[in-house]
Amino acid sequence: MATAVAVRQEGPLRRWWRVLRVSFWLGWQIETNWTDPLLFFIYSLAKPLGGVLILVFMYFVVARGGQGPMLGFFVVGTALWPFVLRGMMGIAWGLISDREHWKTLRYIYTSPIPYRGYLIGRALAQATSAVAPAVITLIFGRYVLGVPLHLATVNVQYAAVAMITGIAGIVALGLVVVSAAMLISGEAWRMPEGVGAGLYLVSGAIFPVTTLPGPLQTLSQVFPLTWWLEAMRRGLLGPQSVRSFAWAGDAQVLAYEVVVTAVWIIVATFIFGIAERRARQLGILDQESAY
Amino acid sequence: MTTASIPRVRGLRRVLRAALGRAYPRIIGQNRERSWLFYDTVLPLLGTIAFVYVYKALGAPDRFIGYVIMGGATTAFWMNVMWNMAAQFYWDKQGGNLELYMVVPCGITPILLGMSLGGFVATVLRAVAIVLIGSLMFHVRFDISNLGVFLLVFGVAVVALYGLGVTFASLFLLWGREAWHMAELFMEPVFLASGFYFPVRALGFWAAMGTSLIPLTLALDAMRQLLFGAAHPALLPVWWEVAGLVFLAVLFIVLARFMLARMEYLARREGRLSLRF
Repeated sequence: MATAVAVRQEGPLRRWWRVLRVSFWLGWQIETNWTDPLLFFIYSLAKPLGGVLILVFMYFVVARGGQGPMLGFFVVGTALWPFVLRGMMGIAWGLISDREHWKTLRYIYTSPIPYRGYLIGRALAQATSAVAPAVITLIFGRYVLGVPLHLATVNVQYAAVAMITGIAGIVALGLVVVSAAMLISGEAWRMPEGVGAGLYLVSGAIFPVTTLPGPLQTLSQVFPLTWWLEAMRRGLLGPQSVRSFAWAGDAQVLAYEVVVTAVWIIVATFIFGIAERRARQLGILDQESAY
Repeated sequence: MTTASIPRVRGLRRVLRAALGRAYPRIIGQNRERSWLFYDTVLPLLGTIAFVYVYKALGAPDRFIGYVIMGGATTAFWMNVMWNMAAQFYWDKQGGNLELYMVVPCGITPILLGMSLGGFVATVLRAVAIVLIGSLMFHVRFDISNLGVFLLVFGVAVVALYGLGVTFASLFLLWGREAWHMAELFMEPVFLASGFYFPVRALGFWAAMGTSLIPLTLALDAMRQLLFGAAHPALLPVWWEVAGLVFLAVLFIVLARFMLARMEYLARREGRLSLRF
């Protein structure tokens, strides 16, 4: 009785915060407690370090040794990409694993919590697990590869604003992906990976978008990730960074990132609402595909 | 009555029949839901194209684009081995099939063979699609200097690779949730160690020799020598690499049989066969 009264008295913001906090904790447990901390640490590092070293060797076989600004481009892109993989794909995986693997979706969905907040909490937990690999990849880039990541030249405020906005953009993209995952079952588990592969190609993750053909260059500007990665490179590497948008100043890039992210948040909220309603109408919200 | 009508096949015939029986639903299932054609051909191509653009951004010669396309095609085989063979028992645990496999009279080796055969069809299609679409998109020509040796390298490498897959499957038999993450763990580091996107010699001779324990390292290097000739910085002469692959094939087949029996025993003893999470 007392609990019911407390829940009724709780404002929407406080409820959202509570749901975010608890689902973050749940997501973190699911993400990390499958093994001991050491193996989890190695697992977290192996993918991004493997990724950056592939690019480094590709660079060295072409450049035959020596250092250049492209190394910095590779290091920052590879260090940050796990946030996309884990944040954006993680939100979709949260839904798919609850639906198919743990079979808890119907219980979570029918509990008196904002489901969107629950999914965002799960995504943020996954994104948090990308922090350690990102930091270590950057340290590896700085001290092993000699990438000019100097504390004196890093624009901390600029990079911090770009990072926070970037995470918001990743969550917005994740909400769109999860909306699609709600409406498909058979190949739902592959779809987030496919979207990730597409974004890896067009958002300037490992090469400047100027290398892409014209139409793909235009398309790349639609996604917040492109502006986020560009802003992060400018914030971390300073004027020496290879630029995808040489025509834009630093402030302009940040402004574009904020605007594009805001648009995606609005679009994602709208799409999620439609997908959720549609899935309920069709009765497929908790449909299992036995993948 | 029913027992009498069941043909009592033994030995190799039983292995073949069981393997074909397990391959059948996989091939038929794929034909029933054709969306895999999109997911298995177009999506892996996106990652491959991204690496092509890395070389383009670096101003590399066209040969390197050929390297990436070949590497992209090879990822299909590695992913098939890791996700559809090594981790297969994990999926089967989730689906409740593993216990059924354990009680059938043919043993689990033919089941794994059937899985690989079923998956191999889709994997070859995926690899061919990556090579065809990739070479058409980026105007890369592959001139195989000796088709017979090329096919020999490919064939022996596939046997060695699937032997490695069965060895891994036995390890995965013991794992619960770790299986998924361990399969993930063997992606980028293996792409790096085997030189999927660059000549493996770039790792240094001895490092590359060390990573040659993964059959794809020698296979990719040999196939690149046959495709790009003297322009490719070879690790070893082609015939040495063929010999190495034959050795690995025998090694992994023997190891797979031993490991499978050992891990099955351990999994039974520790009660992990039906442990889902």
